[in-house]
Amino acid sequence: MTTSTAQAAPIETTAARLRRGAPALLLLVALAVASLLSGSIDGLRLASPDRSHGDQLRRAIGDLPSGALVLIAFDADLGTYAEIRATTRVAIADLAAHGARLSIVSFTPEGRAIAAAEIDRANRAGTGESLADLGFVAGAEAGLVRSVESIVPSAARGSTIDAIRERGGGIGAFDMVLIVSGSDISARSWVEQVGTRLPKLPLVAIAPTFLDPELEPYLRSGQLTALLATLREGVAYARAVSVGPESGPGRSVGPLPMLVGMLGALGVLAETAFRRLGRRGRRPPGRRAPS
Amino acid sequence: MNGFAGSDLGGTIATWVAAIATIAVWSYLVGPRRIFVLVQHLLAGLATGYLVLLAIRDVLVPRLAVPLIERPGDRALLVPALVLVGMLIGASWLPRRATGPVAAILVGGIAAFALGGAVVGTVLPQVAAALPTTRAASPGLVAEVISLAITSLVLLAFLHGAPRGRLTTRGALLGRWLLVGGIGGWLGFLLVSRLSLLVDRVAFLLGDWLTVLR
Repeated sequence: MTTSTAQAAPIETTAARLRRGAPALLLLVALAVASLLSGSIDGLRLASPDRSHGDQLRRAIGDLPSGALVLIAFDADLGTYAEIRATTRVAIADLAAHGARLSIVSFTPEGRAIAAAEIDRANRAGTGESLADLGFVAGAEAGLVRSVESIVPSAARGSTIDAIRERGGGIGAFDMVLIVSGSDISARSWVEQVGTRLPKLPLVAIAPTFLDPELEPYLRSGQLTALLATLREGVAYARAVSVGPESGPGRSVGPLPMLVGMLGALGVLAETAFRRLGRRGRRPPGRRAPS
Repeated sequence: MNGFAGSDLGGTIATWVAAIATIAVWSYLVGPRRIFVLVQHLLAGLATGYLVLLAIRDVLVPRLAVPLIERPGDRALLVPALVLVGMLIGASWLPRRATGPVAAILVGGIAAFALGGAVVGTVLPQVAAALPTTRAASPGLVAEVISLAITSLVLLAFLHGAPRGRLTTRGALLGRWLLVGGIGGWLGFLLVSRLSLLVDRVAFLLGDWLTVLR
C-alpha cells in the first residue's frame, strides 16, 4: 500500500461518516433554527383544541376539599420526563394553588431521582416547604400494595405527615393521587394494585405520549379520573391554568420545531416508500420480491 | 430553562456537564464511536452507583438494619428477610440449590402481584366496560360493536396452525392488517414522544447552555 493510499483511507472513512450522519445533522440544525424562530411566528398552536382531558383534571382538582391530602406518585422515566415536565409542574402548582397538602413518593429508582431534582427545584424557588417527601419505596408492585397500609417512613416529620398518620398512614389517607407515569410503575400499576383495593380513591395521571394507547382505556372505563397523556393535551392544560412565575413550568416545547420534525419524519417515510416503489419498478416482470 | 440547575456555580457546572454529555452522545452521528461508548460507560457507572446508594440509604439501612437493631423482638420477620438478602448478595458464591428457591420466591412474588392485578384490575373491568349495553339507543353501541368486531378479527390473526376455512382465512388476514395498523398508530405516538424529547434537548443547548433562547 502506498503512502497516499494510506492517507486517503481515513479521509474517505470520515467523509462516509459525514455522509451517513448528514440527514441527522441537518435535522438538528433545522430544529435549532426552528426553536430560535418559534417565539416569533404566530398562527401555529401546539395546544390541543379538545380540552376535555385538561378539563377533567381541572375538575378533579377543583372538587378537592380545602386542605386536601394529595399524593404525587413520581415514577417518571429519565428518558421521557422532558415531555411531561411542564405539565407536571403546572399540575403541582395548580394543586398547591387549591390549598392541597402535597406529598411525594416514588416506587422506582429513576422516579426518585427526578422527584429529588423537582423537590430541590421547589426548595430553590421557595415553594418546597409545602411538599412532604415520603422518599423511595422498594418492591415495585409489592411495595405499592404494602403502601396501601403504610406509606409514611418512620423518621418523617411535619404537619402533612401528622395528618397522613391521623388518617391511617396509608394511601387511603389521601383524597387524590396524581400519578406521574413513564417508568415500569405507571398509572396501569396503580389502577391494578391500588385501584382494586381502594376503589373510591380518585387516580389522575400524567403520562408521556407513548403511554396514551395503554392508559386511555382506563380513562374510558372510569378507573382513572383524569389523564393527560399527549404533549398537546399537556400544553392545553398548562394554558388553561395560570400559575405564578416562581412555580411556573419553565420553557416548554414550541410548535414550530415540532412541525419541522414531523415534516422531516414524513419526508423519511416518503423517501422510503419511493425507494421501495423504484426497486419494484426495476425488478424484472414475474419475479417476486425477496421475503 | 428546564429549571433543574440553579444559577450558582454548581448549577453552571451541571449545565456544562449535561451539554457536553449531550454533544458527546450526538457525536455518534458523525465521529468515532469511542466518545459515545465512553458516555455509555459513564451512564452505566453513574446508574449503578446511584442504585447502590439508594438501596443502602433508603432501603437496607432504614427498613432492615435499623429496625433489627432498635427493636429486634418486634421485627422477627425481618430476620428471614435478612437471610434472603444475604443469599441474593452472595448468589455468585453459593450453590445453585441454595439460591434457586430464593430467586423463585422473588420471581413468584412479583409474578403473583402482576398477574393478579392484571386480571382483577385490567382484564375484568376492561371486558365489562367493552361489553355492549342492552339499551338499543346507546350512543356508544356502534363503537362497542365495532370494537368487538375488531377484537375478534385481531384474535383470529393469532390462530396459528388451526384449521381454517375461506372466511376464517380472510378474517385472519384482515385482523393482521388491523394489527399492523394499530402498531403503526402506536409508532406514531412514539415518534411524537421522541421528537418532543429531541426538541427539548436542542432547546436545552440553546437556552440553558448557550443562553440564546429565552
